[in-house]
Amino acid sequence: MKFTLNWLREYTDIDLPVTVVADRLTMLGLEVDSVTDLYPGLTPIRVAKILDVTPHPDADRLSLCDVAVGDERFRVVCGAHNARAGLLTPIALPGVTLASGMEVKRAKIRGQESFGMLCSERDLGISEDHSGIMELPETARAGESLLEALSLQDTLVEVDLTPNRPDCTSVIGIAREVAGFTGQKLRQPVSGELPRLSNKGVPFAVEVRDPDDCPRYAARLLRNVTIGPSPWWLRKRLLAVGLRPINNVVDITNLVMLEYGQPLHAFDFQQLAGGRIVVRRARAGETIVTLDGEERRLHESMLLICDAEKPVAVAGVMGGENSEVTDTTTDILLESACFDPLSIRRTARQLNLGTEASYRFERGVDPEVSPRAMERAVQLLVEITGAEAVPDGYDCVAGIRPPAAIRLRVSRTNDLLGLQLDAAEISRCLESIELAVTPLDDDTLEVTPPSFRIDLEREVDLIEEVARLQGYNEIPTSMPVVPMSFPEQQPGLKLRKKVAAMLVSQGFFEVINYSFVDENYFDVLRLQDDDPARTAVRLLNPLSEDQKIMRTLMLPGLLQNINRNTSRQSNDIRLFEIGKVFEPQEADSLPRETTRLAGVLSGRRHPGSPLLHFASTKVDIHDCAGTVEAILEGIRIKHAVSLDFRGQDIVAPSFIVPGSYVACRAGEQVLGFFGKIDAAVLKGFGIKQEVFCFDLDLDLAGGLEAAPKSFAPLPKYPSVNWDIALIIPETVAAGDLVGAIESAGEPLVESAEIFDLYRGDAIDAGHKSVAISLTYRSPEQTLDDSVVNTVHQRLIKMLEERFLGRLRDAG
Amino acid sequence: MEQELRQLESEAAEKLSSLKTLQDLEDVRIRYLGRKGLFTGLLRQLGSVSPEERPRLGKVANQIKEGLEKKFHARKAELAAAAETGPGSDDLSLPGRVIPAGRIHPVSQIMDEVCSIFVDLGFAVAEGPDVELDYYNFEALNIPQHHPARDMHDTFYISDSILLRTHTSPMQIRAMEMAKPPLRIIAPGKVYRCDSDITHTPMFHQVEGFLVDTKVSFADLKGVLTVFCQKMFDQKDIGLRFRPSFFPFTEPSAEVDIGCVICRGEGCRVCKQTGWLEILGAGMIDPEVLKMVDYDPEEFSGFAFGLGIERIAMLKYGIDDIRLFYENDLRFLNQF
Repeated sequence: MKFTLNWLREYTDIDLPVTVVADRLTMLGLEVDSVTDLYPGLTPIRVAKILDVTPHPDADRLSLCDVAVGDERFRVVCGAHNARAGLLTPIALPGVTLASGMEVKRAKIRGQESFGMLCSERDLGISEDHSGIMELPETARAGESLLEALSLQDTLVEVDLTPNRPDCTSVIGIAREVAGFTGQKLRQPVSGELPRLSNKGVPFAVEVRDPDDCPRYAARLLRNVTIGPSPWWLRKRLLAVGLRPINNVVDITNLVMLEYGQPLHAFDFQQLAGGRIVVRRARAGETIVTLDGEERRLHESMLLICDAEKPVAVAGVMGGENSEVTDTTTDILLESACFDPLSIRRTARQLNLGTEASYRFERGVDPEVSPRAMERAVQLLVEITGAEAVPDGYDCVAGIRPPAAIRLRVSRTNDLLGLQLDAAEISRCLESIELAVTPLDDDTLEVTPPSFRIDLEREVDLIEEVARLQGYNEIPTSMPVVPMSFPEQQPGLKLRKKVAAMLVSQGFFEVINYSFVDENYFDVLRLQDDDPARTAVRLLNPLSEDQKIMRTLMLPGLLQNINRNTSRQSNDIRLFEIGKVFEPQEADSLPRETTRLAGVLSGRRHPGSPLLHFASTKVDIHDCAGTVEAILEGIRIKHAVSLDFRGQDIVAPSFIVPGSYVACRAGEQVLGFFGKIDAAVLKGFGIKQEVFCFDLDLDLAGGLEAAPKSFAPLPKYPSVNWDIALIIPETVAAGDLVGAIESAGEPLVESAEIFDLYRGDAIDAGHKSVAISLTYRSPEQTLDDSVVNTVHQRLIKMLEERFLGRLRDAG
Repeated sequence: MEQELRQLESEAAEKLSSLKTLQDLEDVRIRYLGRKGLFTGLLRQLGSVSPEERPRLGKVANQIKEGLEKKFHARKAELAAAAETGPGSDDLSLPGRVIPAGRIHPVSQIMDEVCSIFVDLGFAVAEGPDVELDYYNFEALNIPQHHPARDMHDTFYISDSILLRTHTSPMQIRAMEMAKPPLRIIAPGKVYRCDSDITHTPMFHQVEGFLVDTKVSFADLKGVLTVFCQKMFDQKDIGLRFRPSFFPFTEPSAEVDIGCVICRGEGCRVCKQTGWLEILGAGMIDPEVLKMVDYDPEEFSGFAFGLGIERIAMLKYGIDDIRLFYENDLRFLNQF
């Protein structure tokens, strides 16, 4: 809601500075969004009087104007057809910058010196009018500033209105609030008794089919209007708040709407068949061409204004072209009505057509203001367009419901607000904004709100008014007194924080990506047509093509992040994201949301570490494996998870390089995977370097039983380390040797660890050497070599037999 | 004899500390401790010592030998470490051998901070679905179909009845449906609105909080939020003001401003010269909402509040474009 300070002053006296007014309004719940000078750029523009106009010797369309600006005389070249001797018009002298950003300079135009520029309204940023230079009223004095001549010096205020205050969609509504805190009177342009409208004896008729849809419909007829431009004072009001002047009739209806919050509509009476107005719902298949030239298909729930034959307006939203006021209109029927907010809102939504009128109607217009606003418009029409108002008119009021009285308890008010007010204080408060208060007993007040406060319906609404008028900042501050209880926290939250902390300590950066992604990623990832990940939750109204579906995989976001970073020369990357993926369920039920942990590794093994100390070795699959192992170990579920990389049922997804894919399983369930991403897929994401990724179901992980923490006595006796170097065929996985040792059931073996892998000259082709360090320990004694040797030889034999291995010579 | 042993010891020790390479070390070892080394040679002469002296000298010799071996190993480790780093290992201007940690996303950091303040006040944390029923997001929060307040939420729809939650307030309903007062809950999470510019992203984060019990008042709401703002901005005397506003699910409703943390109330671009920054929406839970979950509004009252995490992060860290949070540029993430 926009208004200017001078406009506001028409309805109430204000002697406070504008900043104070703005602050008070804000603290009353009418949040002032901005306070700015109106037309700040016009300060240097002055009034010029054209003394003489002579044709330009070398250009047909241009003329040379001799102008007086105060005591000075200038010659200005001008192209406007309306430049004539005696005209008062704005001038921008050299050095002035116009609204368009152009700086006016002393210039030669077709060989003639021009000192400045005579301006149109568009040149000055006042309106879009560029039909000629602006014609100023006789009262302007040559040389004075344009702002003064037109009284344009003003302050524009914009209030961010909440939907509960329809009464403040009008300048008078705002003035009422201001008057409330200044204690000044509210002046309305039309006050006192209004002429009674008898619904008969006029050359037209109004019929409201359903008063619930249209609680009030008032109409009057005006004859012999002269359509033309509005006077400057009226145009000025509209322009100041950004409304385009059209003609005097339309401008008057708009002005009164801004003043009173009551949208009005003027029909060309000659175009209304049968001289009738019928307010009814649309019929199946009906259409109307609205004022914006669009043909609208009407739905049966929509409320229409019709004449005897056809729709002439979509009620409360927009008029029809067929009854529009035009330059040739002579008689107009003026409508001032009140419609059901829900009906208007539904219609405006369905037609996707929001207007100043629908904005007000869908929030609720005070039915009591309709006749007053109409009277104001009639007076202005008579005064400005020369119209004759036909006496009497229609005022259908069957649907008006008088505001109901509300009971307000003093005790309840104080309990809810934490205040200690008495009944008298509360009454004073409410009466200051025109609510009628009658005490019923010690604790109860009966309150009747005025008709313009349609938002006040319940006791709590009144309590809010009391709080608002007392001032929220006057309410004391206390701490709630509640019984102590242990706040149970979401278990998943703790796990997520723990995992995040572990990854961060390993050099990973957390990222957060949008939950919606581009559907094309399915193809870039080369998912099979029947891949379940392709079945996604779809947005009906995405903002853009690349945000059409809810993600089913975490990877695309992370790969996009790599692309973004590598294209900005950050090539050493470790990222992770903890977030949800969405799996559609049957229609009308919510999708299944699963929290996943996914990460990517690319570039140097030690990103960010000094090159002096760390080589630039790149990450490989073992870095990725290590990360996953550390997480499983860290959340104590490693024992429950197997890392599987072979077997018929281990099939790498299409975006992972076969042979570099490891599935993480917890029993029958798939916990996730890690692997190396296929180069072609990476190319699809614009990534040129190797990327490894992991992706785990964190909900599932959280559900696994963590390894219990229980104490085992510390060993009393020392351990001994013995090594084995075994040459085995390439086809044997080195890890299997360790597995075989661990499961051999040798009680003295404490642990086994691979410490070297070697392929080379000394080793037969198709073979490799695996060196394993074994730790032996007994809980009962210090081991002597012969005991160890027996076990050691047994293990060597077992390994040689099982894996076709051969002990590598010490030499 | 003993004197010779001692001399050998100090000579070897001196060589050990002055030598510079592993090769030199090996040479020294062979020279002194090797099978044909000086020390071994000397020990062989033990036989020629008188039988009374022999045990004592033997003990001394062994001590010396062990001591030297220890020194030898220590030196070897030192040299090996030095060899790994190469030359200049004693230049302390060189960078430390750091393996840097990553960072938690700034949004998560602020979210944690916000949550932990309320957890310390005894609030439980609850989370709900991102994809939500219209019922929980709107209807049950007193925002029926065709309510103008729906204009305040640019909603992404999945179907007529399913949408992406536009705020974390649905958790009020879900939590109250499952339990009876007293309730103290905060609900952090992602929310979605179809809006995108320098101050809006289509996805962002909120924390909703609410407290329901008998006799909860607006003064209590002010108390809790005052403590929160003081802790969050680490400012005991933080300026705070409550302004009337409108939310369909609270009444009275308020917007909460803090004194501008950038200009300290002087007036700047960020606070639009007002000296105040809006950071929270709050209010007393509307009786209609309580009725929706079968709470008797005559018996119970409560307050609720909601705040945007990105907005707080932007204010705390001076970030001027919200989209930076979702570009995940390492140069950005590394700053927090």
